[in-house]
Amino acid sequence: MNVQLLTFIPLSCLEEVFPSIGIEELLPHLSYTFAIEKISRVSSHQLVRHRVASFSQQSQRYIRMKRLRERVVVPPSINDNEEFYSLIQHSSEAYQKLVDLDVPKEDARFVLPNAAETSLLLTMDGRSMIHFLGLRTCNRAQWEIRMLGDSMLEQLREVESRIFNKAGPYCFRLGYCPEGKFTCGHMKEVLEMYSL
Amino acid sequence: MKLSLIAHSPNIEAMIATSMLTTTSGVLPSTIYNRIKANPEKVHEVVGRIEVQHGNILEHNRLVWRLDATREEVLGILLRSKFFDITDVGDGAWALSCDLRTIVEYHQEKKDEFSELLVESIKDVTPQIYSYIRRTGK
Repeated sequence: MNVQLLTFIPLSCLEEVFPSIGIEELLPHLSYTFAIEKISRVSSHQLVRHRVASFSQQSQRYIRMKRLRERVVVPPSINDNEEFYSLIQHSSEAYQKLVDLDVPKEDARFVLPNAAETSLLLTMDGRSMIHFLGLRTCNRAQWEIRMLGDSMLEQLREVESRIFNKAGPYCFRLGYCPEGKFTCGHMKEVLEMYSL
Repeated sequence: MKLSLIAHSPNIEAMIATSMLTTTSGVLPSTIYNRIKANPEKVHEVVGRIEVQHGNILEHNRLVWRLDATREEVLGILLRSKFFDITDVGDGAWALSCDLRTIVEYHQEKKDEFSELLVESIKDVTPQIYSYIRRTGK
């Protein structure tokens, strides 16, 4: 996974013009664009559920998948499991055969797995970003999107510490866990991890 | 009504080109962006091929204005498009922001004073999109 903050609007630009307006009210006017690369289609499906964001994703309609075995995300729990790699191999061979038979890429891709890598651009305003980080850096989030959220937060803290030093999982922001009976039960460790 | 552009995402047209090439080229978006932002001619060539039906390529940016307007004028803007963010900053002034897609689509739908002010304000920051709007009337 590669994550890179490409562009953003600095908070200071807006504070110069609107000095009496607080950070919370300026958040919707800020914007952050990331390149998010080599994540699985599993993670990209989770990402696009955040509707108040913009996405430009590599299209499997136009981009032919080559060397699938080298371009899959493997969960740590699967590691070297032969079942997994056997299925990836079958999927890869079926895809190549279909494309060679002149089946359009947009149809051949139906045999590709969720593990297939994808890359995309993501843009969010400041308020949506803080909400996204609240949900996706939580221990309850799936490991891959949590890694992504942590990487985004780290880069955002570097460039906009006044906004993002307070961002992180919701328990870190709120002082209590809003997950109820689904809580991870490790709030103390989480608070230590995200505190500076 | 008075509209002054006060901030915007950097390299808006380079990002439009990056978005266009990300979906179709297979090259990683960070590689595309870091190469293309240093190559204005390539940006010009790619953005010159734009067709705005797929509006998401115009969404990877934000522009922020100071708007001087009455409450009635602001209500009118909000009722005509749900994609503007507006904050009351006092004394008849407002912070207003949106992405480029909102500007283009607002101008396609409405040819009013506000629409003209919006389009004129992007002339220097995204000259090709400005030319596209003026050339096509969209």
